[in-house]
Amino acid sequence: MSTSTRDKVMQHLNIVGHLQPALHEETHAPAPDQIDNAHYRAYTRMAHDVGGEPDVPIRWEEKEEEVWEHNTFVTCECLAWRGVWNAEERRRRQNVDVGQTQYLGLPYYGRWLLTAARILVDKQYVTVSELSNKMDEVKKRYE
Amino acid sequence: MSDQHEELHQPAAMVDEVSEFEVLELAVRELCIEKGLFSADDHRRWTEYMHTLGPAPAAHLVAKAWLDPEFKKTAVTDGVKASLDVGIDWVNSMPTNFGTPSDYCNLRVLEDTPTLKHVVVCTLCSCYPRPILGQSPEWYRTPNYRRRIVRWPRQVLAEFGLQLSADIEVRVEDSNQKSRFIVMPVRPEGTEGWTEDQLAEIVTRDCLIGVAVPQVGKTENDKRPVRPAVNPYKH
Repeated sequence: MSTSTRDKVMQHLNIVGHLQPALHEETHAPAPDQIDNAHYRAYTRMAHDVGGEPDVPIRWEEKEEEVWEHNTFVTCECLAWRGVWNAEERRRRQNVDVGQTQYLGLPYYGRWLLTAARILVDKQYVTVSELSNKMDEVKKRYE
Repeated sequence: MSDQHEELHQPAAMVDEVSEFEVLELAVRELCIEKGLFSADDHRRWTEYMHTLGPAPAAHLVAKAWLDPEFKKTAVTDGVKASLDVGIDWVNSMPTNFGTPSDYCNLRVLEDTPTLKHVVVCTLCSCYPRPILGQSPEWYRTPNYRRRIVRWPRQVLAEFGLQLSADIEVRVEDSNQKSRFIVMPVRPEGTEGWTEDQLAEIVTRDCLIGVAVPQVGKTENDKRPVRPAVNPYKH
C-alpha cells in the first residue's frame, strides 16, 4: 500500500469510527437472553420514526437548493411517472432501508439520490459495472 | 463574531472537488435516459412543472374562503375540489395527467379559530402539499422539527415567533403519503374591505404551514438565515 493510500484508508476508518451512533448501552451483538422485549422493540424501530424524540432547539434556517438536489427530485418523480417504482416503494427505500446512520447522516436529497441509484441496480435496469463506469466517465469531465 | 459565524456556514470549505452527489446524480440521470426509463424531454417537462409551483394558489384558496362562506364550506370539506378554483388540479395535473406520483389527491384544509391553532408536520418523512404550496422549506424537513413539534408545539412555535396564550388549543396535524394539509388561519383584524389579492398577500407560506399567523403589512415569511448552496439551482 502506498503511503497516500494508507493515509486515505486511515482517514476513512477514522471518519467511520466517529459515525458510530452514540449508544449508552453495551452493543456487541448480545446473546438472546440479554435482549428483553422492550429493547427488541426499540432496536427494530424504523429510523425515520422520530416524532416525539427529545432534541434541543436549533437555529431555523432556509436553504438554497443545489442543482443536483433539484435534478434528483425530478429524476425520482420521472422514475415514478414511467412506472419504475411508486412513491411507497421509494419512501420505504429512502427512509427505512438506508438505516439509522445514513438516515441521519446524509442530506435529505442525498438519500433520494442513493435510493434512485439502488433501484436501477436492484431491478436490473443497470449493472453495478455500468453504474461505476458511468460515474468514472462523469468524473473525468471535471478533471 | 459575525465574520466567524459566516465562515462556519460556508459549505464550500467542505468541498474541494466535484461532489460525489453531483457525479452520482448525473450518472443516474444519464443512465435512466440511455436505458429509456424516461426521456430527457420528460425530465425537462417535469422541471418546467416545478417552476410553476409555489405558495400562491394556497394563499388564494384561504383568501377566497375568507371572502366567501360557501367556498369556505367546500374548502374545509373537500380541499381537492376547492383547489380547482385556484387553478390546482390534484387528480389530472400536468405533466403526467394523473397528478404527481408522490402527492396523491387528498388535501385537507385546517380551519383555525380564535381558540384553536393548527400546525402541520410530517413526522415520518416530510410530506407536504407540493402541488398547491411548492417545495417544503429545509427546516420543515429536519429531524429536529419533526421530533419536537408533536411533543412541545408551543415551545417550537415560540421559536418561530408565535407566542400562543394557554387558552388557545394547539393541534398538530401529522401528514402522510396520502393526506396533505394546509392551515386556514383566522382572518386578521384591519383587513375589512380587502380584495382577494390583498388578502392572499399576507397569507405567507409559513402561515399555511401554521408556524405564523397573517398580519396586516406583513407579506413575507420571517427572515431566517439562508444556507447558501455550493452550486445553486436558479429557479
